[in-house]
Amino acid sequence: MPNNRFIERPRSFCSLGGALLTVTALPGVIPILHTAMGCGGSIYWNQYGSTGYLGAGYCGGLAVPSSNIQEKDIIFGGSDRLEEQVRTTIELIDGEVFMILTGCTADIIGDDIQAVVRQYRNEGINIFGAETGGFHGNGYKGHDIVMTVLTGEFIETKKEKNKNKINLLGIVPGQDAFWRGNLLKTRALLEKLGLEVNSFFTEHDTLENIRNAGDAALTVVVSDFYAHQTAKTLQEVHQIPYIVNPFPIGPTATEAFLKKIAEALDIAPQTVNEVIAAETQQYFRYVERVADAYNDLDWQRYAVVVGDANYAPAITKFLADDFGWLPELMVVTDDIDDEDKPKINAVVTSLTSHYPVTIAYESDPTEIKTHFWKVVPRKTDSLYQNTFSPGFVVGSHLEREFATDIGAGHLTVSYPVVNRIVLNRGYAGYDGSLSLIEDLLSVIAAQR
Amino acid sequence: MTYIELKVAPRREERLGTCIEFGGTVGEVHRQFCGGCLKNRNRSFSQGTICQLLPATAILTSLQDSVVIVHGAVGCGGAVHSQGASVRLGQFNSGDKNPKGALWLSTNLNESDVVSGGEEKLKRAIVEADKRYRPAAIIVLSTCVPGIIGDDIDGVADLLREQVAAAILPIHCEGFKTKIMATAYDAIFHSFLRYMVDGKDETEFAVYNNEAAVTAEKIRRSRLVNLLNVSSMTGPDQKELTRLLNKLGLEVNMLPCDAHPNAFQIAPFAALSVGVCPTHDDYFMTYLNEKFGVPFVGGQMPIGIENTSIWLRQIAEKLGLEDTAERIIQSETEELHRALQPLLPELKGKTAMLSAGEIRTLATAVLLQELGMDILAVRPYHYDEFGGTEIGKLEKVNPKIRINVATAQPFEAVNLIYRNKPDIYIGHNSDNVWAAKCGVSILPIYGTNSIYSGYAGAYDVARRICRHLKNTAFNEHLAKSVRQPYKESWYAEDPFKYIKGVE
Repeated sequence: MPNNRFIERPRSFCSLGGALLTVTALPGVIPILHTAMGCGGSIYWNQYGSTGYLGAGYCGGLAVPSSNIQEKDIIFGGSDRLEEQVRTTIELIDGEVFMILTGCTADIIGDDIQAVVRQYRNEGINIFGAETGGFHGNGYKGHDIVMTVLTGEFIETKKEKNKNKINLLGIVPGQDAFWRGNLLKTRALLEKLGLEVNSFFTEHDTLENIRNAGDAALTVVVSDFYAHQTAKTLQEVHQIPYIVNPFPIGPTATEAFLKKIAEALDIAPQTVNEVIAAETQQYFRYVERVADAYNDLDWQRYAVVVGDANYAPAITKFLADDFGWLPELMVVTDDIDDEDKPKINAVVTSLTSHYPVTIAYESDPTEIKTHFWKVVPRKTDSLYQNTFSPGFVVGSHLEREFATDIGAGHLTVSYPVVNRIVLNRGYAGYDGSLSLIEDLLSVIAAQR
Repeated sequence: MTYIELKVAPRREERLGTCIEFGGTVGEVHRQFCGGCLKNRNRSFSQGTICQLLPATAILTSLQDSVVIVHGAVGCGGAVHSQGASVRLGQFNSGDKNPKGALWLSTNLNESDVVSGGEEKLKRAIVEADKRYRPAAIIVLSTCVPGIIGDDIDGVADLLREQVAAAILPIHCEGFKTKIMATAYDAIFHSFLRYMVDGKDETEFAVYNNEAAVTAEKIRRSRLVNLLNVSSMTGPDQKELTRLLNKLGLEVNMLPCDAHPNAFQIAPFAALSVGVCPTHDDYFMTYLNEKFGVPFVGGQMPIGIENTSIWLRQIAEKLGLEDTAERIIQSETEELHRALQPLLPELKGKTAMLSAGEIRTLATAVLLQELGMDILAVRPYHYDEFGGTEIGKLEKVNPKIRINVATAQPFEAVNLIYRNKPDIYIGHNSDNVWAAKCGVSILPIYGTNSIYSGYAGAYDVARRICRHLKNTAFNEHLAKSVRQPYKESWYAEDPFKYIKGVE
């Protein structure tokens, strides 16, 4: 899916959408859109349908302050309108920090939002601005742009580092419908290593904690592909080094993740081994008691995994290395340059189970079917055929029709998540993989 | 109406003097409009809202055998992820047990396209869409980016028309061009009228192979009516209106929503066009009348008991079916009133506030008055000449009803709710949550596969309001525990404080 052609039913927000969902996920931060009137509504309708019915929250949805610039502003410049909107927003809205986010229109006409930011900062207002017009890229990119501004400008620089404190990045609000659960689970896991975690978007994070995150000893990015610019900014501006780890789901991936963190932070092997042992034991406490049904009812499945650069490898690895399923095909739906593909592929080319997985990069649902039929033989009339059955598709809502067509089970995990409601569920770590097991097997059990 | 020669349909601001900023009473708004004093203003504080693109994708992705190409950045069109649920439901209701949902593409305009133009990318998308999906129609929606950088989508369409099998329909719905999102309806019909409705009569082209078939088709057409549905109508709504028209002995050619593009081609041969909402359909019906002589009835939405009867009478009058209509109206309303009797005591004196598209809001308010409820305020998304009919009915019952013309803008709604404390808020998708956070019960004003139109709709709305009032715990608890984003001082301010001078 190279950048120079169309995308069928895109699997992401635009950069403005990703930025807006990020800002509305931050504690006490009020977004101010400097966009045409429909951007706020379009993003809201999108999030509503694609992120497990994530609602507007405190000041999102159709409550989002927005300059709603019109044709005359496009011609004569929209800075005056923005200045007015910022003034009235500060007057009307109860917030601590304000973040201006631009849309395509303002970025193309080149409104100087930093001049407006400076004007209000001089008046003592905590205000920032990010250029997030949709043509800059997708929602993951928008997340990275606005987090770069936040980490670069809002976080106070601190020379002294706290060796037990880390910043957590790589889980993107909204693009990942399970962002809240995934953050909570990853955070809880890291706390078990004795770490203080700044995770930006959970109920345990506050603006004060974020402002004081400059003394973290390390940034942990749980993504091979997302939020890397933000991590680099933390390194350059705050001298906080970062490590990148694939998004971890399941005991095998999570054990490796914890060992990597322990090594980077010089945590005693005994400490990390104790955590791993306790978590593994906890995982099997539950798995033990589904093992009866898994075996009696023959719940092993062939699988196709379709997802973003976090979910596709993470779920594929969990299925192959922990769950004993057969992931024949992994489809990564992000637009990834050829030179970056090896690091995404590494997760599935180094499976502990050595299961041979075909890897494809494709976003269009129609074309994903083509990849599938290259890997799997079509059904014939013969009595004797070794096909993709019993099968399961773990993907997005866009794969449901395909899964139904081939008689496979289907679970929506990756964007767009239209047919599930998501509150605090998450799939990260040991605990999250238990939820994933519940959800996968419930699809099968629901037919009983 | 000479607009059709233009590439782009005119803005509603110019064509109809439509306005989206007003606060006052229902009596005032109409007098001001008629006196020419109701002008477009600005808000010095505004909230993100809906542009033309949203109704455009809602309608167009529902068309059968069509592909929608959203020519813009990757986020434009993302609303289809939620709108697609209705599209799937429509497909399911028409018998597809594994519905494919809305088929749409984004040209994914990026930084380099902004510099060098997006026309080549659009051309490739159209050609590939034709090859990959073999649709009857490829619909191209222009958004803000191509609108500013000057991509010529009409030129691209003209260039490719001979090369691709599908009909190509370029539609201009750039968000920054108009404040009135309802301009989208004109933009859509404009393109369909230019490129799809050609008036070529298949009976003259020997499609029908004998005289008897031609005669039979002529008789069919004498009873065929175009029913202009709207995207906020559900399958059950469409079924109810079709039921009533069938009772009059009429056959329905429904368009634009959920229709096959063929429905547009047969439209010039219908005996009558029947509107259900002047906000949506006046542009199409007027042109069809001027160009092909198809008479039309419009201006009355069939929501509300008496409103449905008026709608039926207007149709019947055009076709000489008055007596039949009266018989239908009598038997239908008698049965309805009997059914409503047990519900009316529960609704009497209950208070309501409503918010959505102009006619939808006002007609639904009229229905609630018929049910014995008190209307505290109405919040139509815009106001123009078409609002007068329903405003007149509301005013007759209570001229003091407050009106807040605003496309969403929940900050004004919340202020009004705190002042008036309605028992129920009947609002547009995504408006509702802000009233819910005030502790008010909610009935969505359209959708959810429920019925609102016709006589059956009147009953169902009454029944559902009663249901919502039976248990209000969810929103009451919500209100106690979550905050609105406004400072406390806002609730003491004039709700229309941020509406400022005339443009």
